Amino acid sequence: MHLDPFELHRPRSVEEAVRLASELSGQCDYLAGGTDLLPNYKMHLNLRPHLIALEDIPELRGHSFERLGAMERLADLEGDPAFRAAYPGIQDAVGEVATPLVRASGTVGGNLLVETRCFFFNQSFFWRASLGFCLKADGDRCHVVPQKERCYATFSGDLAPSLLVLDADVEVAGPSGRRRLPLSGLYDAAGDGIRRTRLAPGELLVAVHLPPSARGQRAGYKKLRVRPSFDFPELGVAVAGRWDGTRVESLRIAVGGVETYPRRFDALTDPLAGAPLSEEALGRVASEVMRGVRPVHNTFLLPDYRRRVVEVYVRRAVREAREGSAA
Amino acid sequence: MPSRDRLRFRLNGQPVDVFCPDPRILLDLLREDLRLTGTKRGCDLGTCGCCTVLLDGRPALSCLTLARLVESREVTTIEGVTPPQGLSPVQRAFVEHGATQCGFCTPGFVVTATALLRANPHPSREEIERAIAGNLCRCTGYTKIIEAIAAVGGR
Amino acid sequence: MASAPTPPTNPYRLLGGRIPYVEGPLKVTGRAEYTDDIQRPGLLVGRLLRSPWPHARLRSIDVAAARALPGVYAVLTGDRYPIPFGVLPITHDETAIAVDASRYIGDIIAAVAARDEPTAEAALALIRVDAEPLAEHADPRMGTSKVTDPIHAKGLAGTNIQKEVVQHFGDVDAAFARARFTARVRGTFAGVTHAFTEPMATIAEATPDGRLTVWSATQVPHYLHRTLSEVLGIPMHRIRVIKPEVGGGFGGKSDPLPHEIVCAALAIETGRPVKILFDREEVFYTNHGRHPTQNEVRVAADAEGNLLAYDIEALIDGGAWSSFGTVTTYYNGVLAMGPYRVPNFRYKGRRVYTTKPPSGAMRAHGGTNIRYSIEVALDRIAEESGIDPFDLRERNALAPNSTTVNRFEITSTSFLECLSAVRKASDWDRKFRQLPYGRGIGLGCGFYISGSNSPIHFTPKMPQSTVHLKVDMDGGIAVHSMQADIGQGSNTLLAAIVAEVLGVDLERVHVQRVDSDVSPVDLGSYSSRVTFMMGNAARSAAEQLKGELITAAAGLLGTPPEEVMVGHECFETRGPPPASVPFLEVLHRAMEAKGALTASGSYQTRPKGGTFKGAKAGTAPAYSFAAYVAEVSVDVETGEYRVRKVWAGFDCGRPLNRLAVEGQIEGSIHMGLGQVMGESMNYRGSRLFNPSLLEYKIPMPQQMPEVEILLVGKDDPEGPFGAKEAGEGPLIATLPAVGNALYDAVGVRFTDLPITPDKVLRGIDRRVAERRAWKGA
Ligand SMILES: Cc1cc2nc3c(=O)[nH]c(=O)nc-3n(C[C@H](O)[C@H](O)[C@H](O)COP(=O)(O)OP(=O)(O)OC[C@H]3O[C@@H](n4cnc5c(N)ncnc54)[C@H](O)[C@@H]3O)c2cc1C
Ligand code: SF4
Ligand code: FES
Ligand code: FES
Repeated sequence: MHLDPFELHRPRSVEEAVRLASELSGQCDYLAGGTDLLPNYKMHLNLRPHLIALEDIPELRGHSFERLGAMERLADLEGDPAFRAAYPGIQDAVGEVATPLVRASGTVGGNLLVETRCFFFNQSFFWRASLGFCLKADGDRCHVVPQKERCYATFSGDLAPSLLVLDADVEVAGPSGRRRLPLSGLYDAAGDGIRRTRLAPGELLVAVHLPPSARGQRAGYKKLRVRPSFDFPELGVAVAGRWDGTRVESLRIAVGGVETYPRRFDALTDPLAGAPLSEEALGRVASEVMRGVRPVHNTFLLPDYRRRVVEVYVRRAVREAREGSAA
Repeated sequence: MPSRDRLRFRLNGQPVDVFCPDPRILLDLLREDLRLTGTKRGCDLGTCGCCTVLLDGRPALSCLTLARLVESREVTTIEGVTPPQGLSPVQRAFVEHGATQCGFCTPGFVVTATALLRANPHPSREEIERAIAGNLCRCTGYTKIIEAIAAVGGR
Repeated sequence: MASAPTPPTNPYRLLGGRIPYVEGPLKVTGRAEYTDDIQRPGLLVGRLLRSPWPHARLRSIDVAAARALPGVYAVLTGDRYPIPFGVLPITHDETAIAVDASRYIGDIIAAVAARDEPTAEAALALIRVDAEPLAEHADPRMGTSKVTDPIHAKGLAGTNIQKEVVQHFGDVDAAFARARFTARVRGTFAGVTHAFTEPMATIAEATPDGRLTVWSATQVPHYLHRTLSEVLGIPMHRIRVIKPEVGGGFGGKSDPLPHEIVCAALAIETGRPVKILFDREEVFYTNHGRHPTQNEVRVAADAEGNLLAYDIEALIDGGAWSSFGTVTTYYNGVLAMGPYRVPNFRYKGRRVYTTKPPSGAMRAHGGTNIRYSIEVALDRIAEESGIDPFDLRERNALAPNSTTVNRFEITSTSFLECLSAVRKASDWDRKFRQLPYGRGIGLGCGFYISGSNSPIHFTPKMPQSTVHLKVDMDGGIAVHSMQADIGQGSNTLLAAIVAEVLGVDLERVHVQRVDSDVSPVDLGSYSSRVTFMMGNAARSAAEQLKGELITAAAGLLGTPPEEVMVGHECFETRGPPPASVPFLEVLHRAMEAKGALTASGSYQTRPKGGTFKGAKAGTAPAYSFAAYVAEVSVDVETGEYRVRKVWAGFDCGRPLNRLAVEGQIEGSIHMGLGQVMGESMNYRGSRLFNPSLLEYKIPMPQQMPEVEILLVGKDDPEGPFGAKEAGEGPLIATLPAVGNALYDAVGVRFTDLPITPDKVLRGIDRRVAERRAWKGA
């Protein structure tokens, strides 16, 4: 499987990368580890004539307790025991991404910006042409929910939920400089499902910033998939919280793998602060989360089933976080 | 030839300098241009691990690596983990334990296992299972592959 | 996992031990040569234009623009080589390239040879096809009555039925009338596919001497050889078929495949070598995997649990072509004939063409889906009658040297030994129905043919396997045969048998690459025939050489030949006085008379089976037997489950290479597990939704259970050194063992495969809603 011609650029700084992108105005993609982009390119999904490799930009690399560079390899996070101790939830999620071989190249930034997925989209050009293209690539209608406005492809990154519950921020660079926004603001709940983030064209994700409060939370990530390796999440539940004895100080729940973007359920968890968490209250929250998500039939497992498991996984993830992996 | 289309890197311990257009994939470069056919193509999409090579000593999928991005780096293929005479300990264990059947997945597994054992000379069964979970084998049920790796690791 | 140690009675030096593969060192170093590794000068790239329609009449195909593209050497359409072919001589319904209609999404409608892949693809994009869509036939049930636009003119009376088999032995209705216990199971089985790691690949080259050479990843070089000759109109002796190393087959590389013919045709058209290498999606479309199937099994037993009758129906979704389908249709019935006595038997099986990728033969062909339903039905009978599942099966086991009601000759069977070994090893009597809710243990059994008694062949009288040996003065023994090692270890066994008979070290024996110019015909790797048939042929060839060498040794030792024995790398006499001569010396003496020694050994089965229509289907010179126990644990809140352990009791006669036999069993369990747990060809209509190794769910290492293998077979009277098959039979019992274990765990019968967690959860929900408690939950 060859790739269609494109020109590869290798900027050496964030500013140079962003300038290039703005010069190429939309006719380019950033290339991080390539483990998401290159399969999509091989399938002729939304090709661009220019690729801007982020490989040579030192600023994007490395991780600390406060900052994850966008180009940090997942395998490098995985291999750091101190990081695991501080952020068990992130580590759970990292270890569940794809396969060890994919994690060796795959990056933090690429994972947060991973293309959304759908049975009608992640197919070869031949396959898609034979059925008729869809909204998300080359076509004008959706095959999952027949209409012409919105795409329902599933957000399938494992890292986002586990960073959302820690109130992570992202640092973004664009032609007019840098900005910081909460990770939750990166994903566009009101969007059309095709553009997967609120990044402006050509904007570059520089780093993820973790606030001091993120450290040492009791956190975890549970992932539903058919096989313990390779498979994208059919559901991902992240929780993080602090307890004072039995009393909840704070609790956050985020869910990915079931809708077009990952999301947090603060309205359900905020009222829990300040009191012990009873099993009924937990059960209620879990059911509310379940009721709150609307998966569609575009992945391997059926949407009804995935919703059912939301309830179970939320309960379990909270319980396990509370009991188990205290930092 | 404009130097822009030349690619220089180290391959199995030797410098190479080859013609390489931007969209060239490392697997294609290795198999088709450099005729190192020990690295296998099972899917081209990151879903089988047959194409595993070492990039600066760490396993990587050559089918999802742009060849140009290995500029100045060290690539080691199955040919490079094979000693000039005989077999490496991992290779010997794979033969003796029956860890290869059709053999098509085997170079990928040998490369992955070699990297694992360098990083972690005595992996537990669970660590082995995790480490090989990006390599697919349709013949062996993995049982003898795990046994072979464990035997080298002395567990 | 360790199997029982080699019994002390093993009389052999090599056989019966653990023999690493002879080509292992090449495989672990990447030096083994697969088809795509072969380089030819001036090699062109062949690519195929595939049908985007499930079913369409091809009115016209305009290839002018594609031909005119620089770098394009040839463009082919179906009219050029329209001679129909197919693996079975009676069902030739395929063409190399679609002639008048395309019959599934992915069907080949044109082919291009070009200087490189981008050019070939650009050329494909320039081909204009004027097609008229025809009725799509996705549901085999609809195909059983008259349809508009039938897929093939050959279908039964205007329907899409490709083959119908009706068999009745004894009196099934009468047996049901007097039965004390009956059970009915309706099984639904998604299609599954081989998913070998090496995609199909073929290289062809036509040379100015008027010959055609084809290298191909095939399990049956001989059938490919014949088919190339038939379709291309070239005599077989002008075609040379070479089988390089093959990266797995499991049945998927046993049909002669259209792209192999197309590749040869492109080579002829262009006068240059051409390679066709599939991408993974094309492998899925080519399929020939296990048929999507619906079956219904009714079982009757008397008050003591003696089986009285089976009444079986099967509806088999064939996809676009016949392939092995006629055999499949028989097998779905007759492979229910063991491992139990079934005095009355009725079967109606229909295989229906659909507009999907063709199904064909896959490991444990025809015996897998029907076995699942039967073993589940037996579990129900056991439960209803209060008889332990083991006792029920023991009571009904076919005896050695018995004949089934459809005239299968069962010679050796150690089925009872399989049962008792796994019952004990798994601690069954303390676990069955006694594990806590969510944990369960289940039994499943099976049997399989050890080669087909009447295979596809020129004439039934020709041997099924021939092996040639040549020894020259260097003392190396060259072995030629068209048997096809696809990873199962047949090269190793071939070498080991020759070495065993001649008393030499394995390294003296060189198994040659399959090459039709020099390899005598063996029918290749399918129907679990290789060890049995090639093994016998090899033994016979080696015995002939041994005879010549013993005569020479007798001369050297000055003793009568009767007193000469084969030693290790020498020939000996016990004396007195005892003496020995080295192998090489004996060989050189033997060569004095005629130069290099050669021998040809062959094997042919003895005629078997009845004379009624279809009586030969399923007849075999021997059968393997299996009894498996699986233990599972279920997450009852999510339906996710794990198979923790499988105890595999298997009768393959004498295991000749334990390393290979264990490997076959472990690999079979893995493949069977895939079919139970998650593998499926996901069709919506006739469109395949998961043509990728990401969405086709082959189990991961973490999903593999611990496997304990118990090889309990006794020598088979006809098998080479007492051996029977171990390549396919070990898959079958995996599925029902898991299905029955899930029942023991949660009290739900799962009969819709794969049993994905959503189905498990739905089953548990239903049971809870009906307030039917299970094991205290
Ligand atoms: C077989 C297989 C299985 C997989 N399974 C999983 C899984 O289970 N879970 C999971 O989460 N993912 C999975 N993936 C997807 C992917 O490998 C990972 O998400 C990985 O982390 C992506 O990182 P990358 O660096 O390779 O991204 P790339 O492919 O390089 O980039 C992904 C996207 O993000 C954009 N991008 C990357 N970095 C930046 C940046 N700094 N600024 C702006 N845009 C950027 C790219 O333009 C591209 O659109 C799988 C992939 C494969 C091949
Ligand atoms: S959800 Fe609809 S628009 Fe989006 S990728 Fe799937 S089919 Fe296309
Ligand atoms: S060929 Fe690279 S993962 Fe399959
Ligand atoms: S040995 Fe055949 S795929 Fe692993």
